[in-house]
Amino acid sequence: MIRMNRRKLFVASAVIAVGSMAVAAVPAQAFAPHRAEIGVSASSIKLGISVPMTGIASPGYNKIPGAMKAYFDYVNANGGVNGRKISLVIKDDQYIPTLAVAKANELILKDKVFALLGTLGTASNKAIASSVQLAKRGVPALFVNTGFSGFADKSKYPTTFSILPSYQMEAKIMSQYIKENYAGKKLGLIYQDDDFGVDALAGFKQGGVNFDVKVPYASGSQGVAGTAAGWIQKLQAGGAEVVVLFGVSSATTAALGNAYALKYAPQWLLGSVGGDATTIASAKVVPVALMRGSKGFSFAPAPTDTADEYIKMFQDVNTTYNKGVAFDNNIVAGMTSAFITVQALQAAGANLTRKSLMDAIETKGSTFASPTLTPLGYSTTSHVGATGYWIGTYDATGSLKPDGGAYTVYTTDSGSGAVVKSTYKRAPMPAKGLPN
Amino acid sequence: MHKILHTNLGRALFFTALGFGLFLASNRIDELRVYQGATLAMFVVAISSLILLTGYSGQVSLGHGAIMAIGAYAAALARIHWGLPVWLCFSAAVVVAAFAGAVLGTAAARLSGPYLAGTTLALAVGLPSIANQFHVLGGEQGLLFDIGQPPSWLGADFTSYKWYFWIGSSACLITLWWLQNILRSRYGRTWRAVRGNEVAAQLCGIHAGKSKTLAFSVSSGLAGLAGALLAMTISTVSPSAFPLSLSFTLLTGAVLSGITTLPGVIIGAVTLVATPEIADAISQRMANSESVTTNLPGLLVSALLILVVLFVPNGPVEQMRMFRVKARSHTKN
Repeated sequence: MIRMNRRKLFVASAVIAVGSMAVAAVPAQAFAPHRAEIGVSASSIKLGISVPMTGIASPGYNKIPGAMKAYFDYVNANGGVNGRKISLVIKDDQYIPTLAVAKANELILKDKVFALLGTLGTASNKAIASSVQLAKRGVPALFVNTGFSGFADKSKYPTTFSILPSYQMEAKIMSQYIKENYAGKKLGLIYQDDDFGVDALAGFKQGGVNFDVKVPYASGSQGVAGTAAGWIQKLQAGGAEVVVLFGVSSATTAALGNAYALKYAPQWLLGSVGGDATTIASAKVVPVALMRGSKGFSFAPAPTDTADEYIKMFQDVNTTYNKGVAFDNNIVAGMTSAFITVQALQAAGANLTRKSLMDAIETKGSTFASPTLTPLGYSTTSHVGATGYWIGTYDATGSLKPDGGAYTVYTTDSGSGAVVKSTYKRAPMPAKGLPN
Repeated sequence: MHKILHTNLGRALFFTALGFGLFLASNRIDELRVYQGATLAMFVVAISSLILLTGYSGQVSLGHGAIMAIGAYAAALARIHWGLPVWLCFSAAVVVAAFAGAVLGTAAARLSGPYLAGTTLALAVGLPSIANQFHVLGGEQGLLFDIGQPPSWLGADFTSYKWYFWIGSSACLITLWWLQNILRSRYGRTWRAVRGNEVAAQLCGIHAGKSKTLAFSVSSGLAGLAGALLAMTISTVSPSAFPLSLSFTLLTGAVLSGITTLPGVIIGAVTLVATPEIADAISQRMANSESVTTNLPGLLVSALLILVVLFVPNGPVEQMRMFRVKARSHTKN
């Protein structure tokens, strides 16, 4: 008797599952849109972003969507783009590729967004591009937040556009800087032993820099007690006087903290990923003051540089539309992406389609007004955004100040091209910071 | 209906009919639901493997996410290096994960309670990050697992998500059918005997260690299959796709399903897939604030978990059965 009941319930639950899936589909079909282009109407443009809003990778990054939204709100309050107001649907993927795919699917299939914007993380972006089949669907993935050089491959990722310079570019520019400033000194390198590090090693090789002491670490191991002390001992034993730290923020925290404890004070060069003072501060493991004197790399103006017209405008926007959120490099990053997005939407014209947007970035992208201090590399053959870095020194509050008081920008590519001192002069900001 | 299910042929026929129903459904629902259906199928396989282990064999595993990773990597490597056909990739996932499970199970059979939980937890934390150590495993950004386009005879409108859904639900139906059979076999009875009372089972001539190891191995094989299904739906395998939270999610699904009742497995899987959607709908209607949207799914699942543990500790299906048995005995008296 008992057995029969179990089986009956099993049958019932299976039937319910099939039924519920079929029923659940009805409303979605009933409301299928009949517009010319998905996510665009005469009065609106809907964009979507999936980033870690919660979880281990969220500190710092979770400020990006709010910053984008603030800038879009500012543009909307001033009439929008070609009369269309921009909205941004925000999803939380917790830095898990499985969730990133699920969220991208929701954004594209349920929320019916026009384009994805600023999705974050190499693994997540790879998973989204291949599982959701962005290329086949023709959905643009604008200004992805990863420095993996692979996304510049237009044949593989035809609808993906980068904004960050690649890790390889960064390593090449670091190499140049090391050769010019620390010739003859013993060099050390701490790097993440995965594709992040592989990209960097390739860059250092091209840059012609050989390290006397190399310390690879496995992603995730930087948090394990005693691990980072081992790095420092290895560097000390090898007598490294200049140490490049090409890792994530938690690795920077671990390295600087242990170096202080072991009274080891080399000249630190912090990569752009790991030199994030906000993230280091929010971890509350070591004081940000330990970053003082370290060299840092950035492609956007420093958040503290109020003399910069873009920073000033972004700060005003942040005060009005993003109330109570502290202004930092993540806000600058988010607003920069939003600003370039508005430029692209503007350039695509009144008859906005996904294709016209991508065409506009390819043909006019390199001439966009942009807060970045390096030229944008967009062309019909390249989807690379910023192409270089300026070098500065961190102060005791963790803010990066350009060496010599002015931004000296170096540009390069992800291949064998040389590192050159950029003569790029950023165009003046459009009136009120509104692209026209 | 349930009489038919008493025979092997009957069960096979029933699952075939169910498969046909799913096939009809897949043509009528929109793409997002098809994708969610594929995820649902993955969760059903994963949760049923956990139910088999915990509910029927009495061993706890907090590390099933890691075993899923083993299966997923096995499938991806088989695809990349040998270009095996899809069904062989999935078979490879089952075999490799089952083998890993046998090795682990040998150790696990000696442990119980919190010690077993701790060991498997360590596995969930440590194992996926091994991928960062070996270049062949693709590091943090992972490997592509491209099962290719659906066969052309299915038509040009046949999307890859529909293809995933078909593969996923076939795998899921075969798994459930097979599990129904094995749990009713000698092995199933042995597992339950050991779970119920190990000493009594041993007195009956059952080798408790072997029985536990076998259960662990079978469960791992199914988890491996689930891992390969997960990799298929996201087209990639990477360490971050198998976080600690995945293992806990599966356990939550198993508890919601009723840890000792396989028929409830669909309840758990549906809950896991539907909760974020429900949370989304609620937050849009209520506040439309980001912090509500991002935190509500976790809150809902946790609240549901607490309610289930408090009021229906054996799971809703088992509880309903108990009610009926009670009601019947009342009427008899």
